[in-house]
Amino acid sequence: MKIFDQISMCLQNLSRRKVRTTLTTMGVVVGTCAIVVMISLGVGMQESLEAMLAQMGDLTKIEIYNYSGGRGDSGNEVPNLDDSVIEQIAAYDHVEVVTPIVQAEWGKVKIRCGDYEYNDSIYGVYPEALEKLGYELSEGKFPTGKEKEIAVLFGENAPYSFNDTKNPDVWFSPYDNEDPPVDIFNDTFTISVGREDEEDKSGKDPEKHDMVITGRLVGDWNKGYETVYGVFLPIDKLYELYKEYDSYNGISSSSSTAFNPRKINYDHAYVKVTDMDYVDEVETKIKDLGYDTYSMETMRKPLQEQVRNTMLLLGGLGGISLLVAAMGITNTMVMSIYERTREIGIMKVLGCVIGDIRTIFLMEAGLIGFGGGVIGVMLSFIISAVLNILGGGGSVGGMMGGGYYDGSGMATQLSVIPPWLVALALVFSTLIGLISGFSPANRAVKISALEAIKHE
Amino acid sequence: MEKTPFIEIRGLRKVYKLGKERVVALENINLTIERGEICCILGTSGSGKSTLLNMMAGLERPTKGQVLYSGKDVSRFDERRWALFRQKNIGFVFQSYNLMTSLSGIENVAMPLMFRGMDKDRRTRIAKEALREVGLGNRMKHRPSQMSGGQQQRVGIARAFVTKPKIVFADEPTGNLDTKTTTEVMELMVNKSRENNQTFILVTHDNGIARYADRIVTIVDGKIVGDEKNESIARTREQIAADKAAAAGQQAKEEQAPAAADAGAANTSTGGAE
Repeated sequence: MKIFDQISMCLQNLSRRKVRTTLTTMGVVVGTCAIVVMISLGVGMQESLEAMLAQMGDLTKIEIYNYSGGRGDSGNEVPNLDDSVIEQIAAYDHVEVVTPIVQAEWGKVKIRCGDYEYNDSIYGVYPEALEKLGYELSEGKFPTGKEKEIAVLFGENAPYSFNDTKNPDVWFSPYDNEDPPVDIFNDTFTISVGREDEEDKSGKDPEKHDMVITGRLVGDWNKGYETVYGVFLPIDKLYELYKEYDSYNGISSSSSTAFNPRKINYDHAYVKVTDMDYVDEVETKIKDLGYDTYSMETMRKPLQEQVRNTMLLLGGLGGISLLVAAMGITNTMVMSIYERTREIGIMKVLGCVIGDIRTIFLMEAGLIGFGGGVIGVMLSFIISAVLNILGGGGSVGGMMGGGYYDGSGMATQLSVIPPWLVALALVFSTLIGLISGFSPANRAVKISALEAIKHE
Repeated sequence: MEKTPFIEIRGLRKVYKLGKERVVALENINLTIERGEICCILGTSGSGKSTLLNMMAGLERPTKGQVLYSGKDVSRFDERRWALFRQKNIGFVFQSYNLMTSLSGIENVAMPLMFRGMDKDRRTRIAKEALREVGLGNRMKHRPSQMSGGQQQRVGIARAFVTKPKIVFADEPTGNLDTKTTTEVMELMVNKSRENNQTFILVTHDNGIARYADRIVTIVDGKIVGDEKNESIARTREQIAADKAAAAGQQAKEEQAPAAADAGAANTSTGGAE
């Protein structure tokens, strides 16, 4: 038999019993709808969760805190977090970049522009890592780490954090449409060490080093305070300034406060992971080294698990209705075989091979499943749209994709049907049809032709 | 001249188990049927004649013995091979017509061709032609429920012969028909078989229609008790033709009459060649 004839025969059989076919298909429609809508709610939850978390911080960033003072929780020796350890972490799979981020000790480093002095946090980092951390420039470029001068990158509002040393009570705010007191690309900036005792103005001033400002970042509170008000300079330069500070202020290298480059132990580092999915893996490895870590993962994981459980629960509820639909299909097919016993017998006697008979029955069941799936998916889109309109408070903003999380309209949607869900629903409903039709089809095949043609 | 018989049945035995009882339906049947032979298997109900037909058509398995077509043992074929064998070689006419109620005349006749994988246009054309040949040119698109018994059986006949099978089985083909229609239907089948040199095996309990056959095999209680050429029975084929001519005269008003007369002519010519 040609496949075309099988299909047309199967369609004929289905259309002969319109009411029953329709009702059975409706069972599948309801089941598919239940699954798709339920899962779409879960997906919606997950998406808004992710948007919310992204709002709270960079999901692929791990922060390493090294405050344990050389002793881990278990009392084991924790290695100093120095460049070699950083290198080791950088070599882990899925690690994009690692950099120490050390906030300069207050007063040890001064950035000046004429009479103005920078009055906020200075961070020592690997300059080449800045771009990979996901920071964005509003102007200029990232430092390469190969500049002759001390290359400095400014946070977005860092130019406002300069105070006039003669008039230190005047503050500049970036939110009052004022120009910053300094022009970072045209004014001349210098960097120098500070005095241990700020009041003591005796002796000659510390040497002023040339510095170049390569660029200014886009401030992003999610990525950290430092991108807004901080400035970044290469960590090796920061440590050179530390040494200079010690010698300038006459602090001997044996003193406990003296900077000792051989005993570098960064207290803070950033690890950027290539993908959110690997954060947990990398974080575990770092924890195993003995350091404390922080990432959004610690928050994301339980939330995500909760969402996943909810999704499974919702999907399971939908699954039950599809299971009921499956029984409906089996019932319909069994009835249909009972009614068509005689026909099956005639077909067999006339030389229809059993494979063809089985195919026709499986096709009928599969078609009910598939048809129900298609209608179910279409209906799900309608239900989903209605849910989103109602769930979004009916606000135009919600419909237009505005809502709480600007730029990510999806996040405000209660129900989201991604393409994979459509595919899954169609495959699943067809499969349910085929499975439900399998045993009836085999029953049809096993009917004795002789018995069947005598059957009334 | 010794040659392989067209159909050969060797030592066929069929035993049914009904609870603890064993019922012997057929006992040591040996039979040879030649190509183009019109053979009637005559017996009362319960004699085992239908069982014999079912085993020859692969609808039942013999308990013992063999059925050979052109020397090939088919009695151990599996269901699939039987289906293919029937598709190619066997046509069926049933007492209760066994048409598909949901299909039109054309579709019913075209069904065996569809099972063979013939495309729709071609099989529809052939089916229409076959329906015209059985005198149903004007009722091709009707459903079985819109036809009389005789018309339904004509559709059944068209369906049985449409594939030009080597063998056509008819199991009490006239059991549900009145006398006049019986004559028409029997003649139609016999003539068609003769036209194409097809072997026609008729199973019946009715002595009246047995006379259309060349040969009558009588079965009683699962055993062959008689195997006679038709000449030895009261009527010869010539007499049948004469009868039919008389009948044709009576039914001159009937639209089927010319077709029947044509078929009659073909009948005698085939008879002459034999």
